[in-house]
Amino acid sequence: MTQKTGDMVQGTLEMLILKTLALEPMHGYGVALRIEQVSQGVFRVNPGSLLPALARMERAGHVKSEWRSTENNRRAKYYGLTAAGRRALNDETKAWGRQTAAIARILEARS
Amino acid sequence: MGFFGNIAAGLRALVSGARVEREMDEELREFMEASVEAKGRAGMAPAEAARMARIEVGSTNAVKHHIRSAGWETKVEDLWQDLRYSARMLARSPGFTLVAVLSLALGIGANTAIFTLLNALLLRSLPVEDPAQLVLFGNGKWVGSVDDLPHKSWDLYSYPMYRELSQKNEVFSGVTAIDSIEFATHGSVSGESMEMLHASLVSGTYFSVLGVKPALGRALDEGDDRVAGGGPVAVASDAWWKRHGNDSSVIGKSIRIESKDYTIVGVAPPGFFGVTVGEYPDFWIPLSMEKEISPGWHGLEEKRFQSLYLIARIKPGVSLQRATANINLDFKQMLRGEYVGANPSQKDLASIDHAQIELTPAAQGLSQLRQRMSLPLEILMTIVGLVLLIACANIANLLLARGAARSREIAVRMAMGARRSRLVRQLLTESFLLALMGAALGIGAAWKGGQLLLAIASGHSEAPPIDVSPDARVLLFSLLLTLFTAVLFGTVPALRATRLDLTGSLKQGRGNAAGSSRNSLARALIVSQVALSLVLLAGAGLFLRSLVNLTKADTGFNKQNVLIFQLDEYSAGLPLDARLVNLQQQIEDRVKALPGVEAASFSMFTFNQGEWSAPARVQGVLRTPETGGDVLYNVVGTGFFSTMGLPMVAGRNFDAHDGAKSPEVAVINETMARKYFGGASPIGHRFGIGEDETQSREFEIVGVVRNAKYVALQEHPQAAAYFPYAQRVQYFGNFEVRYSGEAQQIIHAVRHAIAEVNPNVPIGSISTLSEQVDESTANQRLIAELSSFFGLLAVFLASIGIYGLMSYSVARRTSEIGIRMALGAGRMTVLSLILREILMMVAIGVAIGIPVALLGNRLASKLLYDLSPADPISLIAAVAILAGVAALAGYLPARRASRVDPMVALRCE
Repeated sequence: MTQKTGDMVQGTLEMLILKTLALEPMHGYGVALRIEQVSQGVFRVNPGSLLPALARMERAGHVKSEWRSTENNRRAKYYGLTAAGRRALNDETKAWGRQTAAIARILEARS
Repeated sequence: MGFFGNIAAGLRALVSGARVEREMDEELREFMEASVEAKGRAGMAPAEAARMARIEVGSTNAVKHHIRSAGWETKVEDLWQDLRYSARMLARSPGFTLVAVLSLALGIGANTAIFTLLNALLLRSLPVEDPAQLVLFGNGKWVGSVDDLPHKSWDLYSYPMYRELSQKNEVFSGVTAIDSIEFATHGSVSGESMEMLHASLVSGTYFSVLGVKPALGRALDEGDDRVAGGGPVAVASDAWWKRHGNDSSVIGKSIRIESKDYTIVGVAPPGFFGVTVGEYPDFWIPLSMEKEISPGWHGLEEKRFQSLYLIARIKPGVSLQRATANINLDFKQMLRGEYVGANPSQKDLASIDHAQIELTPAAQGLSQLRQRMSLPLEILMTIVGLVLLIACANIANLLLARGAARSREIAVRMAMGARRSRLVRQLLTESFLLALMGAALGIGAAWKGGQLLLAIASGHSEAPPIDVSPDARVLLFSLLLTLFTAVLFGTVPALRATRLDLTGSLKQGRGNAAGSSRNSLARALIVSQVALSLVLLAGAGLFLRSLVNLTKADTGFNKQNVLIFQLDEYSAGLPLDARLVNLQQQIEDRVKALPGVEAASFSMFTFNQGEWSAPARVQGVLRTPETGGDVLYNVVGTGFFSTMGLPMVAGRNFDAHDGAKSPEVAVINETMARKYFGGASPIGHRFGIGEDETQSREFEIVGVVRNAKYVALQEHPQAAAYFPYAQRVQYFGNFEVRYSGEAQQIIHAVRHAIAEVNPNVPIGSISTLSEQVDESTANQRLIAELSSFFGLLAVFLASIGIYGLMSYSVARRTSEIGIRMALGAGRMTVLSLILREILMMVAIGVAIGIPVALLGNRLASKLLYDLSPADPISLIAAVAILAGVAALAGYLPARRASRVDPMVALRCE
């Protein structure tokens, strides 16, 4: 089953990007690829959503960007987490945990 | 990045847009290449990989747009784009823009001008420290002096009362007393010439209670105000100081005012004008000098000479209620203890029961001008508000027509993918741009207009010295008004214009999908314009007719050919005795002997100058509600009645025998004679002033004179009595001269004659009796003139609206009219078809307007003289004017319709 980002739960994209960047700084395509791979193809993020999200997060101070050379010697814009971004990831992960647990309880409840 | 980082990044994007654009392109390209590479590694053919990557990325422009939208700067860019586009669209239809901007300029300008006045008179706070803490004892409505104990809320207090109230209380941090009269006197700095000076007498606490620090020298203090006559010092106003050389050496100089020298100890800060809006004293002088400044009217030590306003500063944390309760307790104790004596009369005790001090917030200061002008200003504010509404309705109508004309353009833009909200925003920007242009023009006009209005309103050629420059509050008002008007006239047309049936509009050049509902909306706007115009016109008619009634009112006296000189006999340095009377008689005699002068006399009052009033007790007449009430008193020369043109009805005039040693006499008017003596002759009867039976001074009535108006043209017949000044010595201000011939020559001759009698009597302003009468109706004149102007303006705007709508509707119905004519309809039929439509709208508008007008006019009834608020003539005239103008505005398009050539009309489909 594949799912488009449009169907992603509102606000989760930024959390996924934060989580992906928590390991190491990456360029845009790297983030998209990593999300697709780790979710085993469930989430496929296209640049129309990814790049605006990164721009928004940069404005919010959660990520910072710089131009670097890639492994095959091309220039690419690399994004990395800031301290504020790390805190945001922490908060959002906790909130997400609470929400999914609550949803799960509701779905499992017997009437 | 944080808040400031966000702003910085936004600014960078705005300034170096090209570089940001390049970086986005580069990032996208890199993304795509990385994607192609990854797909190639996964075994996809290069061409296929490139195709898939392109599909993934989609429209690069859309992606870039989304990235850009992440920042706030795009909003600014959009706005800038909208503004430029709006400016282009407005420039393309200059006629529409001109009409819209001009009518908005008129509407917003008129509102700003009136609001500027309202602000200056009613809203602005005094330029003192923390004005919100200041309270006035009473309402400040009375001016002058009172000597009884009013059995209601008090306005005026005596100096001993001030002393006692300010010492006793625990709720005020300070109390100051200000003489309710601003004195116009004459004085000179050593070596300079005499000049007219306005002096305000204040207690020593004045500057400290107000928290005003002098710009130079020191302020008055309590030491200046300890003993009567013991504070010959003065604080100059900033304006006076600037007129006199702007030099700090002024401190310590002395100024001679009415033969007494005062040391100038300080200069008040710029902008400080005291506590009365509309008065600008040149000097503040301690109350201890009251007798020196005002020899004929003073009473520093008298408990019942109540002539002062009291202003106090409430201690922080004390509520108005607590302060009121506290001060009233002290007040009643004080009155019972010291003001009624050991054996108080019943009347005094009753008065004390009802006496009270009402504390009113004094942050805006006192103003007689305010009391006179607040109702007229509020009425004018309503009128200009309605005019603005009409202007808005007009522009909304024009915009509706424009929206219909632009439906094709809008349809194309929507088909290209523009969202409706985006288009509405763009159309609203156009409205805001219009409103802003109108506001800029209107505020510019209001700047000067405020001064002019004030001058007209006060009835003088020169505006009273009130600061009417627009401040932050006025600008904020205008800005909000502008935004409000833009939303008012722009929203509905913008929503209408973007509600389109796309295919229909694109197919036909002339969109008529929304036509019929657009038309009904436009009709509703016209109807409301007609209704509002009717309200304004009917109101204007009332004010005009009331003004005509006023000018036709019988004054009793003959206002033609009377000059009034303001003399200052006090400057001659004579005491209040026979010597002064002698001077006054000499002046009268000398002037009367001049060629061209028919009569001349001093008097306490002429007309509309205030009043001296008290009840009268007439021998042998019982006090009843009918014989109660005040009588107006005046002190005059023997030539007064002939100067004013008031004939004697019975008895005799005063003459040279009525001197200081002969029995005291009085002349009364017809109303007083009828009130106290019915049909019987009052000659030979006696009366006294005031209700106090123990007062022995009584006057014998020697004559009856014709009734006149005394304080205002609107007044009902008032009982009045006159005393000869030979028996009641005092300094006067008014010296009136009845003349024939050329006024300029008379003025010149009178000046000479007075200088010959005594060169030390300065002559202040010179006016005429008819000017005084006109000035007394300045308010009514202002309202009548402005409301007529705005009423006609409203009708004019409404007729533009009717003309516009009908032209548009005729143009749209050309083919229909063509068919009608081809089928045999005559020109007259077509003409009446169109005119009937217009008259229908006018009729509905009038039907709605009449009840509104009747309701609204009732509010103005206070300002009407001898006229019912439901005056049918004003209403009928308003309807007639409106119907006439509307028919004219509709006739032109109707005639065009009747000239339609059926063949041409049919072919154009």
